[in-house]
Amino acid sequence: MRGYLLSRLRQMIPVVLGVVTVVFLLIHLIPGDPVEIMLGESALAAQKEELRRELHLDRPVAVQYGEFLLGLATGDLGTSFRSREPVLREILRRIPATFLLAGASMVVALLIAIPLGVLSAMRQHSLYDHLSGFLAMLGLSMPNFWLGPLLILIFSLGLGLFPVSGYGTAGHLVLPAVTMGTGMAAILMRMLRSSLLEEIRQDYMRAACARGLSRRAAVLRHALANSLIPVLTVMGLQFGALLSGSIITETIFSWPGIGRLTIQAIEARDYPVVQGCILFIALCTVTVNLLTDLLYFRLDPRIRHE
Amino acid sequence: MADVRNRFPSSLLILSIAAVFLSGCSPKPPVEDGTLVIALPGAPSGIDPRLATDAYGAQILQMTHASLIRMDTAGNPVPDLAERWEERSPTEIVVRLRDGLRFHDGKRLSSADVRYTFEWILDPTNRSPHRATYEKIRAIATPDPRTVVFHLSEPFAPFLTGLVRGIVPDGSRATGYSPPIGAGPYRVDDFQQDTAIRLSRHEGYYGGTPGIERVVVKFLPDSNVRFLELKKGSVNFVLNGVDPDLIPTALESGNLVMEEAPGSNASYLGFNLRDPVLSDQRVRRAIAFAIDREAIVRTLWKGHADLADSILAPAFWAHADGIPPVRHDPFAAMRLLDEAGYRDPDGDGPKPRFRLTYKTSQNELRRQIATVIQEQLRKVGIAVEVQSFEWGTFFSDIKKGNFQLYALTWVGILDPDIYHYAFHSGQFPPRGANRGGYRNPEVDRLVEEGRREPSREKRKGLYKKVQVLLARDLPVFPLWINRNILVRNRRLSGFVITPDENYTSVKEMVILGEKGEGK
Repeated sequence: MRGYLLSRLRQMIPVVLGVVTVVFLLIHLIPGDPVEIMLGESALAAQKEELRRELHLDRPVAVQYGEFLLGLATGDLGTSFRSREPVLREILRRIPATFLLAGASMVVALLIAIPLGVLSAMRQHSLYDHLSGFLAMLGLSMPNFWLGPLLILIFSLGLGLFPVSGYGTAGHLVLPAVTMGTGMAAILMRMLRSSLLEEIRQDYMRAACARGLSRRAAVLRHALANSLIPVLTVMGLQFGALLSGSIITETIFSWPGIGRLTIQAIEARDYPVVQGCILFIALCTVTVNLLTDLLYFRLDPRIRHE
Repeated sequence: MADVRNRFPSSLLILSIAAVFLSGCSPKPPVEDGTLVIALPGAPSGIDPRLATDAYGAQILQMTHASLIRMDTAGNPVPDLAERWEERSPTEIVVRLRDGLRFHDGKRLSSADVRYTFEWILDPTNRSPHRATYEKIRAIATPDPRTVVFHLSEPFAPFLTGLVRGIVPDGSRATGYSPPIGAGPYRVDDFQQDTAIRLSRHEGYYGGTPGIERVVVKFLPDSNVRFLELKKGSVNFVLNGVDPDLIPTALESGNLVMEEAPGSNASYLGFNLRDPVLSDQRVRRAIAFAIDREAIVRTLWKGHADLADSILAPAFWAHADGIPPVRHDPFAAMRLLDEAGYRDPDGDGPKPRFRLTYKTSQNELRRQIATVIQEQLRKVGIAVEVQSFEWGTFFSDIKKGNFQLYALTWVGILDPDIYHYAFHSGQFPPRGANRGGYRNPEVDRLVEEGRREPSREKRKGLYKKVQVLLARDLPVFPLWINRNILVRNRRLSGFVITPDENYTSVKEMVILGEKGEGK
């Protein structure tokens, strides 16, 4: 187990470095000058040159990349061109909101997906199964930029249950979490259904029923746990994506997460913040994938024995 | 015991749901609590008058940080922290501060604070984006606590507009998101970047305590959400943030009212004069004749814009009256194109006289405008390819001169010296904003004289000549000036809409009672 963990951690380093390198090159290649954005168009040419020198933007990209890696090794992600705050502080400030929304969206997704997926598998080809299939298609087809305002219209304006947008109370969390969780719930539900259907047809299920267990008890006690492994893989990937922030949902609900920070930094050509955000996103994704794999160990003894 | 265990999760669930609902529901709309809630379409990058460059930061600073002077609706300087000022010579400006000025923390505001603010901006190590504005300052003297003397290196008529800059206390450091205190009518209580800023009134404000106790400014980038917040009542004041299409629906409830006033942000069509086709003045004029601006204003802006004859708003002191308007005339356009040698190869057929590219941003309305202009130019035989880009890429292309046609808006013109910056032949990018490569020695001479001339009347005459020359040469075609539209709760009163979308008069606002009486 320890050997496996170490080898996975070693694999993470080139993946994260690769992502950060590609982003570093891309952000330096796209048009747009951070100095012009910071100082404004009317700044003196000498002033622009001075700032360009100070920010090391006058150096070759390779040198800037080397400096960035050196900073990274010492835990220094640089200073935001835009806010003049350390990048690490900018990211840390957004982490609670990002994790809160990602976690709540996942909870919403699971609360919808598990009961619907299980019922759908247990009553295959029933009206209920077709209905949940239709709901899953609906959930997948609704884009967040449409679903978000629709939820606001119904639950905030119509029923007056939740605030329209903002951050701070539990009420602020509900609508963005439902917006982000709905699409994911649809994927997880269909995944769980198909995986559970496969398990239900296994011999051990027939044996369990033969021993006198009700079908419902056999599914919930034995088949469900086994069917969760492929679902877990999808959950891991989805959770990684959630942590990287949803720019659309965060914009609609004025949510101060990492997605909005990233897009603002790209617009302002705030290179250190873009790099810091991408590093954070890459780290989150590989860490969640690693945790998912480690969960396999716990759930499936066969993987442990391998 | 077993019972308790079984019941616990469901009780917890009910409690959690109740907590969520109770915390989420505001018992009454903010206007009932004496709170003005403003929505801005974006979040400022910071609230420090020495550093802020974005429009959102500037609008918040108008409520929190008082300046020496401010501009009235016609762009004339009027006293703010300054009681008066005089020009002892073209290079010596003496400003006398009001008596009894206080910062938000109660400390006295003196000439030392004024000097510190401007010297901080001028210090290269502080990397202030406003340094260039004050490059003509040679020295700042403070002979007594109420007098500041600015010594300039040479006469510079636009200098006074630079004094519209929030004053901070002596010794204030730049600390990222923690704004330095100011002496404006409202103090900052809490700034949550990306979400909102909360302000409360400054009891020691020299102009008297503001009428509304609390102001919340929410940063809502999504226009649908701004509209929904207004409908719900959780936002009660939006200036230029509601889509023209949604305004009639917003007003349906009766709680909201709309006010409209002339604006100052001029949209224009830019031409690249280095381009062999567009270098011909007749082609540029033909394009201007071919564009039906009235139709665009009527259909896309729903009438909330005025046709422009200059990049200066009609209410601005330096605007030249009497410039002949360019009327929509496709036949005149076709005649001019024929004269210029660009005959239509197949009459009404599909072949164009020539092809042009039109660059714009990704803003949906701007793209729709581009599509309409594309169609209008097609009717006179000009094929236009519309290219829309992410803002950074678009603006970078414009500054590099990598365009044939582009559309942009001049925002925040405080002085006619903009003509030097945008049309002087020595102001090609990266130095200035003469992006189309316009050269006219007469315009160069007039704008140089304009920035040295201290008399406002004489300056007005000089800039009138500039505007007449530009209307003849058409290096850019002024399209329209958007009107400022305020949608507010009907109980809010006292706000004066200025052409430059200024929030200074928030301090004059009051919340009326249900029947219209003061509260």
